[in-house]
Amino acid sequence: MSEWVELNMGPQHPSTHGVLRLKIKVEGEIVREVEPVIGYLHRNAEKLCENTFFCDNLLYFDRMDYVGAPGMEVGYLEAAEKLLGVPPPERAIWIRTIMAELSRIASHLVWLGAYGLDLGMLTPFFYAFDLREKIMTIFVEASGSRLLTNYCSIGGVYQDFNEKIVQEIEDFINIAPSKIEELNSLFVKNDIFISRTKGIGYMSKEVAIDYGVTGPMLRASGVEYDVRKAEPYLAYSKVNFEIPVSSKGDNLARFLVRIEEMRQSVKIISQAIKKLPDGPFFNPKAKKSMMIRMRGEGEVYARTEASKGEFGVYIVGDGGVKPYRVRVRSPSLKNLSVLREIGKNVMIADLVAISGTTDLVFGEIDR
Amino acid sequence: MEFQPGEEKGKDGRKIIKVKKEDLLSTLESLKKKGFNHLSLITGVDRKDYIEVVYHLHSFESNEYVVVKTVTYNSKVPSVTHLWKSADWDEREEYDLMGIEFEGHPDLRRLFLPQNWVGHPLRKDYNMKNVQYINMDEDGEDYATFDPGDGW
Amino acid sequence: MKTGEPGLITTTLEKALEWGRSNSIWPLTFGLACCAIEMMAVQASKVDISRFGSEIFRSSPRQSDLMIVAGTVTKKMAPRVKRLYDEMPYPKYVIAMGVCVIQGGPYVEGYSVVLGVDRVIPVDVYVPGCPPTPEALTYGIMTLQKKIRGENTR
Repeated sequence: MSEWVELNMGPQHPSTHGVLRLKIKVEGEIVREVEPVIGYLHRNAEKLCENTFFCDNLLYFDRMDYVGAPGMEVGYLEAAEKLLGVPPPERAIWIRTIMAELSRIASHLVWLGAYGLDLGMLTPFFYAFDLREKIMTIFVEASGSRLLTNYCSIGGVYQDFNEKIVQEIEDFINIAPSKIEELNSLFVKNDIFISRTKGIGYMSKEVAIDYGVTGPMLRASGVEYDVRKAEPYLAYSKVNFEIPVSSKGDNLARFLVRIEEMRQSVKIISQAIKKLPDGPFFNPKAKKSMMIRMRGEGEVYARTEASKGEFGVYIVGDGGVKPYRVRVRSPSLKNLSVLREIGKNVMIADLVAISGTTDLVFGEIDR
Repeated sequence: MEFQPGEEKGKDGRKIIKVKKEDLLSTLESLKKKGFNHLSLITGVDRKDYIEVVYHLHSFESNEYVVVKTVTYNSKVPSVTHLWKSADWDEREEYDLMGIEFEGHPDLRRLFLPQNWVGHPLRKDYNMKNVQYINMDEDGEDYATFDPGDGW
Repeated sequence: MKTGEPGLITTTLEKALEWGRSNSIWPLTFGLACCAIEMMAVQASKVDISRFGSEIFRSSPRQSDLMIVAGTVTKKMAPRVKRLYDEMPYPKYVIAMGVCVIQGGPYVEGYSVVLGVDRVIPVDVYVPGCPPTPEALTYGIMTLQKKIRGENTR
């Protein structure tokens, strides 16, 4: 007979990426059972959305996945614009594509830096945030804000891309691939990193599908599924890119899939900036004086590929100026729920390495 | 608006299957056999005198998407955790915020709020003026209270 | 002009302590929400917080002097915030970062957000913004240093 000890990890813990609390039962140093406790950042965004105009709801979506805010805006607007019947013009679609991909890189960079810290590597954090600052300057130039951009709006975008932004994005495309390689080599050439990730945290294809895991975690388990290909939105059907898939299903595979995704995102941005059409950036039906008077009826579900996985927004309208019900399919929530399965029978130190690869952002899990 | 079982096409072009509550489990089971192995989302919509429960299903093989809709008048629906594990937390969340009781769920507790929180916030009749506070006991578990002196 | 001769400064012991204390504020790694990302950016290379002696983010409250409350404090989190604050040794300081922490921000009408962290713990410096830029947080830390040294900030 061996004794189990119950341990609490979090809510304040350097490697829980926010306010995750893990109740773990350990036997010696082996974790036998792990139960995530969430809700420490439950900010009732879904309730507040019901009391706010369609155009203003964007700000709550910005604050969901706060490391890649434009990606969330795109997800909400996909649904809201279908409901309200104000499609964005062609130029706005391409601008949004660029912003969404930039936010994907920004989000993965934060994850890379934080994952390095989880495993005791301080250096990659500085390299990742150095590259991220370049994206932040683009966001500031476009929207005026660094993190929570609020750049896209119903019927288009807040302001047009000027020459300076285009120049900055081109500069970013030039330097990004070499910086990403540099970051990658910081990790994969490190023996300690390899020994802490290779073969650890294995998640099989069946488990991943059963728990509803999406995004890089699913692709690292061998399912080639990406909403950008499966149900193309924005301009993704008009650009060339590949979906990275790995069949290994361990921590290292999830890491490599994210690195490859960043490379593909740079590829998408470089194509989109060349194809950026001229024309209006805003649908005149959604001009500022009309914005709070837009009414929507019916129900719309739209799904987009955010940096964490499939981000779905379900909006029900009753013909008023405010939505009747807003429901968010949060990818991180599903990715976290699988931790109960893959976090079993591992060492405590490995649990940190595994929960790190799930890429948790609590604004989106608790909402 | 009366609830009629049947099929229709939604505003976003997705197939919506409306079923009665009694036929819900058999419909979902047959859909799972057809290859819909990804339960994407469970949503409850409070329509004041009844609650709509919406299931979004997706099939990785055939890349199809289908929406199953049912209504419940006594806020009870059968649980689908035995079909998809991903329903577990979704159902707990909907129980927490919408107050739908999923019959047969193995561990139906609140997901975000403390267990003794009064009311379900996403219901339309939830009283926002009735402020509740939360405090923590010595074991680290939370409890809700109406007393501002005993919580934050 | 450097002459090589040792310089001489006369000061009180208290002043010397305050000077030392203000230039070695160790913050607690305590990120709650969006603002935590900007707090990380403060740590990173562009706005390097270590120029002000605060480079070491301690993971344990028992080793830190400053708590940067970065992100929305929910009612469920508030008892933990209080407890972490209680575990910190004296002298301790608190910076409230972002409007959510100051008064609730965009979530002020909700049911689960504490309307200002100053209802839970005393706050020294408020840094408004949603989220504040790294420069703003750096300014907040400099303001706190001035407060510790007892300087007039105006």
